[in-house]
Amino acid sequence: MTDHGGAADLGAFLEALLFIAERPLTSAEIAELADVTRVRAEAALAALAERLQEEERGIRLQRHEDAWQLVTAPEVGARLAAYAAREEARLSTAALEALAVVAYRQPCTRGDVERVRGVDSDYVIRSLLHRRLVAETGRRDTPGRPVLFGTTFTFLERFGLTSLDDLPPLSSDAAQLTALTAMPGPAAGGAGLADGE
Amino acid sequence: MTQADRMRPIPIDTDPGVAVPIGDASFTVALPDFEGPLQLLLHLIESRQLDILTVPLAEVADAYVEHLARHPVDAVNLSEFVVIAAQLIFLKSKRILPSEPLPPLPDAAEEVDEGELRRRLIEYRALRDAAVGLGARDGTAPAMRREPRESDLPESPSDPMPAGVLAAALATLAAIPEPVAPPPEIVAREITIGQQIDVLRRALSGGGKVLLQSILARCRTRTEAAVTFLATLELVRRKQVTAEQDEVFGPILVESAESGA
Repeated sequence: MTDHGGAADLGAFLEALLFIAERPLTSAEIAELADVTRVRAEAALAALAERLQEEERGIRLQRHEDAWQLVTAPEVGARLAAYAAREEARLSTAALEALAVVAYRQPCTRGDVERVRGVDSDYVIRSLLHRRLVAETGRRDTPGRPVLFGTTFTFLERFGLTSLDDLPPLSSDAAQLTALTAMPGPAAGGAGLADGE
Repeated sequence: MTQADRMRPIPIDTDPGVAVPIGDASFTVALPDFEGPLQLLLHLIESRQLDILTVPLAEVADAYVEHLARHPVDAVNLSEFVVIAAQLIFLKSKRILPSEPLPPLPDAAEEVDEGELRRRLIEYRALRDAAVGLGARDGTAPAMRREPRESDLPESPSDPMPAGVLAAALATLAAIPEPVAPPPEIVAREITIGQQIDVLRRALSGGGKVLLQSILARCRTRTEAAVTFLATLELVRRKQVTAEQDEVFGPILVESAESGA
């Protein structure tokens, strides 16, 4: 066992490992390299992420699904532009809408995006795929086996999110709506959705 | 459409029977282009400061249809706009004749569910607002950076393909021989009732009795089994054999009529 220094030593090792890693590492890979259990590795990664945030360090630990990578803090992003210029076009309203549906409803299909927006969304989804803000995550087990989409590390980087948990919650009406939808139709009568009159 | 057209005040002269709280006749609005029907519908509700949770959607039917008439929409999404227009007009017609039960709709048509349309609007609004939130965070550079990676490079190499590759590919294509006819043994077997009658007769020639399942077990395909079964029925019909089965799914004993008689 290389594990002789305890939690602080493990944290330092993980920080160094992620610093030299040239791609996001999964929890399982990290646990194997650190020679600790996966549960222990994940706890140490979460602690490291929290410490970087709390100490207002220049780097952050970013998580997507079960993979991790070190990135610069969003607070310094604008000042870094002077060194690392990577100009990109801003996203159109349509692209932002489609991206929001994928981000909040993932994994979801192109049909799901189109149902929410009421608009053909083939082109915008292809543009999001091309910009690597979304990626195919699998196929839904329904007729036609439609492709499922989810967001990527590129999405988190672009919008300065440490993980998907950082996404702001949807507006309260949506929560109310979810509650209403969960109820059987007529029983919802007295609640927020007054019927016509 | 020119910019000047869009800036011209668009009068919102609503049907006098429909209460829309816009009193000021000089109220003008420069309408943006709407990509989808929910976007337009939501705009019509919000610009009138109506409560999305309670407003009868029929109240904006006229404004919706009028907008559609004035601003042709993208052909790709036209049907979506028209579907919502039809739903709004239906909701309005129900309000105009509140006491009259409407004639039943043709079987294929579904009753317009105002609650469902409202749910779609609220869901769309929540995600549109989330999109606005994302847009506010969206800059011309990523907010968080990392070291560049090889995988950041564009997926498809943009190097032009040398013409020689195409010529070589064509030559390879020309060298591919014509496909040969498939070997005869994989040609689908055709099994006739006549053949299977012969099979049954041969089996019966021994003791005059045979268990049908023992013959079916030797069939190689489902089709062969089905044809064998039909052959048995044909022999029964011709009264050349008798078939007995004591219980459902039990053994079927086939017996030559001659031997039994």
